[in-house]
Amino acid sequence: MNKYLLSKKIVVNELSTFYSFVIGLTIGIGIGSIILLAQGQNPVDVFSLMLRLSIGSVKSISSSLNKATPLILAGLGISIINSVKLWNIGAEGQIFMGGIALNFIYISTEVTNPNFSILLLLLASFVGGAVCILFPAISKVLFGVNEIITTLLFNYIVIGLTVYLVNGPWKDPNSLNFPAAAYVGKEVYLPTVFGRLSYGFIICFLCTLGVHYLKEKSVFGYELRISGGSALTAIYAGINAKQKAFVAMLIGGGLAGLAGGVELLSQTHRVSTGLSQGFGYTAIIVAAITGMRPFGIFLVGSLFGALTIGGSVIQTMGVSSYIADVIQATTLFGALIAQFFFTYKITKVTEDV
Amino acid sequence: MFDIQLMGLFNATLQAATLLFIAALGELITEKSGILNLGVEGMISVGAVTGFITAVNTGNIFISVLVGVFSAALFSSLHAFVTVVLKQDQTVSGLILTILGLSLSALMGKQYVGKKLPVKIESLVTIKEPTNIIEVLLSQNYIFFLSIILMISTAYMLKKTMFGRRLEAVGEDSRAADSMGLNVNKTQFIATCVGGGFSGLAGVYLTLSYVPYWTDNMTSGRGWIALALVIFGGWKPYRTAVGALLFGFLEALVPRLQTYGFELSPYLVKVTPYAITILILVVLTIYKGGRTGAPSNIGIPFFRESR
Repeated sequence: MNKYLLSKKIVVNELSTFYSFVIGLTIGIGIGSIILLAQGQNPVDVFSLMLRLSIGSVKSISSSLNKATPLILAGLGISIINSVKLWNIGAEGQIFMGGIALNFIYISTEVTNPNFSILLLLLASFVGGAVCILFPAISKVLFGVNEIITTLLFNYIVIGLTVYLVNGPWKDPNSLNFPAAAYVGKEVYLPTVFGRLSYGFIICFLCTLGVHYLKEKSVFGYELRISGGSALTAIYAGINAKQKAFVAMLIGGGLAGLAGGVELLSQTHRVSTGLSQGFGYTAIIVAAITGMRPFGIFLVGSLFGALTIGGSVIQTMGVSSYIADVIQATTLFGALIAQFFFTYKITKVTEDV
Repeated sequence: MFDIQLMGLFNATLQAATLLFIAALGELITEKSGILNLGVEGMISVGAVTGFITAVNTGNIFISVLVGVFSAALFSSLHAFVTVVLKQDQTVSGLILTILGLSLSALMGKQYVGKKLPVKIESLVTIKEPTNIIEVLLSQNYIFFLSIILMISTAYMLKKTMFGRRLEAVGEDSRAADSMGLNVNKTQFIATCVGGGFSGLAGVYLTLSYVPYWTDNMTSGRGWIALALVIFGGWKPYRTAVGALLFGFLEALVPRLQTYGFELSPYLVKVTPYAITILILVVLTIYKGGRTGAPSNIGIPFFRESR
């Protein structure tokens, strides 16, 4: 009788996450092509158009990178929280909270220097995101309440708050029937570097470097890994694991809030329910699929930004933009499946019965 | 007059609650086995669209319900394959399942947006304007009564049958269950697919009865509420039903608040069940020393060789 045994590989190829992503992408494009063929479209035409419109020119590359910015920022936050083996499913809510905090500071303060004002507003969005995860963080470290559930539920509370604000106290009478807050002034828009590329992307790149340093090179990152790895080791090493987890959660939530702030100042320019289009959820997957590595999040996040832009423009060809979502999801499933073969070893055992 | 309004509210509560409850009950079964499936939203959507397409094409309600249930179960087997067989992360896989389910169903249902349904799930008794609670109850459709049967049988199944005890054993301590000779993978795989089937049933209830048409993203977050409901109910069928009635009541109440002359913001009222769920979770964790009713092994892949 043949039996199959599963064991974890001791040495896992360093680049395995990259390889699995490439394999996943191939599967995703393959399935996308099948669906396109079934709909009577030529996949080559559609994909080449997608490529041209997402990375074919400086203008389109900058649109793609702008789209990627909130995804990467939120993903970085998730990766910090995950170094203590905790999940943050609440990035979506934290993005909105970042936008809300920013708008709150914007309408309640009077700052004449625009540069200082932008800095203050971005700081406000960071604090907003951190405040949004404060309750889940406290209840996790003090009482051990499951953070997956509390952060998830906070999404609804914050989105409810957003809907309330843009339909009530903050409703802009000039926006006709569309519920949204008033636009922020042009003086606090994030300027562009070149083309359409916003300074938000530069912020996002700096954050990637910062998070990489924090996670991989700093003492704090080391303490985080120990706290997440083994509670006992942390005690022996004299590390206050709960305190580290708490700080990690606040920073992670703050980065997601910053994602909302950057998105508001560079793209939407106002608070509305369209501030985030599921960035918070996609960011979780992007972070997980890259093994929580900051540079991986940066690369895959950029690629997903391009895919989203590509997906939104192919609608002009009469192709549903949902194709891009299907490609995204199948890519990720493909990568997960491929990851299995990189991390596990299957051995066939022949047993005599 | 007021009576009719009140009965209307009661009717809407029951309808909203039925949908949420069926999906939550399925997720409860899945989670009991230690598998967390965050893809409920996607599974409901798949069940909703396949059921709707079948109903438009065949006009047969029974076949449509079956197709909806089975396609969602089949769809959830993807999550089962990735997390149970391949041991990959459940949080990630579930989230991808949501994205895939929503986008696939939008693609499938593209030609069916705005189509009229030739049939509808019938009610037990047809009553035009129910005037008392019993009449409202009787005027519900078959899936409502099915959900009550499912509630009772699930509660019975979990406590009294072999399969239920197996589920609990696997979800609480998969290694012990494995050493007792239970097939952990098989149990978890089945539980995940059953959960998917329930979500599919919730989906067909949505498109064939609750709002009888199809449009993109029409699940509008109900799958996430179902996830919250499982926690609210402490992984117990009857308490989950109470939670479903509360959430359903608020869903029904919100559009009616203004007609009742209340000044409360409907948007903030809508948020209260989530806040209540969080508070319940925290209180339960504190007072029961972490025993919220959650299966101990939830979210942790079972991996035999790591003994």
